[in-house]
Amino acid sequence: MKALAGYLLAALVLSALAFVLGSYQTDVYRKLLLWITLALGYNFLFGIAGQVAFSHFAFYGIGAYAILILLFQVGLPLPLAILVGIAVCVVLSLLVAIPATRLEGFYLALATLAFAQLFVVVLNEGRSITGGTGGLANYRLPDVLGVRITGPWYTVVIVLLMLGTLALLWRLDKSWFGRACRAVRDDAQAAQAMGVNVARTKIIAYAITSALAGVAGMVYAFVDNTVSPVTFGLENVFQLLFMVIVGGSGRHAGAIVGAVLLYLLPVFLSPLIGHHHALVFGLVMVAVVLFQPKGLIGIWDYWVARWRAA
Amino acid sequence: MRDFLELVVSATASGCVYALVALAYLLMTRPTGIINFAVGEWAMVGAFGGFLLLSRFPIPYPVAIGLVLLGMFVVGGLTERLTVRPLVEAGAPPLAPILALLGMLVVFRELISVSFGPDPQPVPPAFGFGRLELGLLAGSHQSFFIIAVTAVVFTGVWYFFERTLAGKSFEAVAIDRRAAALMGINLRLVTALAFCAGGAVAGLAGLLVSPNVSAHYLMGLPLAIQGFTALVIGGVGRVEGALLGGLILAFVEQFTVRYAPVPPGLAMGVPLVLLIGFLLLRPTGLLLAREARA
Repeated sequence: MKALAGYLLAALVLSALAFVLGSYQTDVYRKLLLWITLALGYNFLFGIAGQVAFSHFAFYGIGAYAILILLFQVGLPLPLAILVGIAVCVVLSLLVAIPATRLEGFYLALATLAFAQLFVVVLNEGRSITGGTGGLANYRLPDVLGVRITGPWYTVVIVLLMLGTLALLWRLDKSWFGRACRAVRDDAQAAQAMGVNVARTKIIAYAITSALAGVAGMVYAFVDNTVSPVTFGLENVFQLLFMVIVGGSGRHAGAIVGAVLLYLLPVFLSPLIGHHHALVFGLVMVAVVLFQPKGLIGIWDYWVARWRAA
Repeated sequence: MRDFLELVVSATASGCVYALVALAYLLMTRPTGIINFAVGEWAMVGAFGGFLLLSRFPIPYPVAIGLVLLGMFVVGGLTERLTVRPLVEAGAPPLAPILALLGMLVVFRELISVSFGPDPQPVPPAFGFGRLELGLLAGSHQSFFIIAVTAVVFTGVWYFFERTLAGKSFEAVAIDRRAAALMGINLRLVTALAFCAGGAVAGLAGLLVSPNVSAHYLMGLPLAIQGFTALVIGGVGRVEGALLGGLILAFVEQFTVRYAPVPPGLAMGVPLVLLIGFLLLRPTGLLLAREARA
C-alpha cells in the first residue's frame, strides 16, 4: 500500500513538472526519462543478472521501428501493433539469447555487439521499409479512443513508462527470480547446485529486459516523430553501460543517478566548455571504476550508514 | 585475373593491419585475461604520432617509426600502471580493469579530438604513393610495406614466444598465473611489459594504416572491432591465430564487396555474420592454445 502511494505521488510530481516546462526543457526532460527507463533495464541485465550485452539499444531501435512499420505499413490498430511489437522483441531476443548463453563473459558482449551493428546495417539497407539512412518521418501518433495525445500529456505517458518499468523491475528483483539472477551472477556453479536453472534464468532476464527496451523504443518513436539509424548506433550503448557503472551497478537508485548525471552533464557543460565535456565524461568513468567501485550510490550508502551509527 | 591479384594484395595488406591489432589484444589478454578495447584508440594515437612526426615536423621515416613505437610503448605501460595495476592489486573483479580501459578509450579519443580537432589529418606513406609490380602481383608501395613489416613483427613475436626463456615465462603466466608466480616469475613485470608491447604493436598498426584512411579521432573503434573479430576467428591462444584471423576477415570483407551480388551496404554485414557464426560454432577460434605439458 505504501509502495503504491509512493508511485502515485512520484507520478503526480513528475507529471506536474511536464506542464510547467518550456519546449526545449520538455525535450530534455522527455529524453532524460527515456534514458532513465533504459538505464533501469540495463541495470537489471548487467548489474543484477551480470550479463555484459551491447544489444540493449538495438532493441530500443527494434521497438521504435517495429511499431512504425506495423502501424503505417502493415496497418494494424495501435493496441495490436504494441502487442505484436513486443512479441517481435521477445522472439528476436530469444533468438539471440538461446545460443548466446552458451558463451561466457566477453564473448556474449561480442556476439551482441555484432548483432547491434548488424541491426544498423539492416536499417541502412532496408530501402522503403526502414527508410534507409534517412529513417522514417512524417507520421504522428494515432488517436487513442478518439483523443489526440500531445504536448505535456505525451510526457505523462513517458513518466508512466518510466515508473511502470521501475515498478516491474523492482518487483522482479525482490522475487525469487531476482535472487536467482544475483546467484547466477555471483557464482553460476553454486547457483546450479542450489537448483537454479542457470541457462533459463539468463535467457529470461535477457528477454524481459530486451522487451522493456523495445517498449521504451515504441514510446520514443513518437517523441521526435522521426527515427533514423544514427540514433541506435554503438555510442549510445557505451553511454548506457557507463551510466549504470557510474551510478552503481545492481542498484535501481544507482541506475537513476547515473542516467540523470551522465545525461545532464553534456547539457550543462557544453555551453561552458564545448566539446571538452566528453573528456570529463571519460575521466569520471575511469575515476569511478578506480576509486568508487560501488558507484556514486556507494557514497550515499556510506553516509547513511555513518549517520545511522552515530 | 589482374583485378583479382590486385585485390589479393590489398586484402592481404588490410588483413595484416587487422592482424597487428589482434596481436595487440593477444599480447595483453594471454597473460592477464584482460581484453583491452582501447587498442583501437592506441592505433589512433600512433597514427597521430605519424602525423606529427611526418607531416607537421617532417623527420626521416625510420626515425619516426622508432619514435612512435617508443612513445606507444610508454603509453601502454602508463595505461597499465594507472588503471590496471591498482585494480588487480586491490583484488577487484576481472571485469573492473576492462571497464576502466573502456573509460580510457573515451579519454584517449577525446584528448586527441581536443588537441587536433575533428578534421582528418594526412599521414604520408613510407615510400611515396607509387605502384609496385612484382610479376603478376601489383599494389601500392604502402601495401607491400605493410605486408613486409607485419611479417617481420610476427616472426619476431613468434621467435620470442617459442625460442626464448623470457617468452616462455609469458606463456607460463598465460597457462597458470599462480604456478608461474610460484616458479619465481615476476607477474607484475610480465603484465607491465604485456601492455607496453600491446601499445607498441597497436600504435604500429595505426601508423601503417593511416596513409590510406588519414589520422582521424574516430578511427579507433572500427579498428578495435575488426581486430577483435580477427582474434575470435583465429583463436586467442596462438600468435599465428591473430595473423590467420586477420587475413580471413580481410579477404571475406573485400571479396564480398567486389564479387558477391549484394549491395555494398549489406556486404558490410558479412564480417559481422562471420563473427556471430564463429562465436556460436567455434568460440575457441581456429587454432587452439597449447595445453600445459605434464
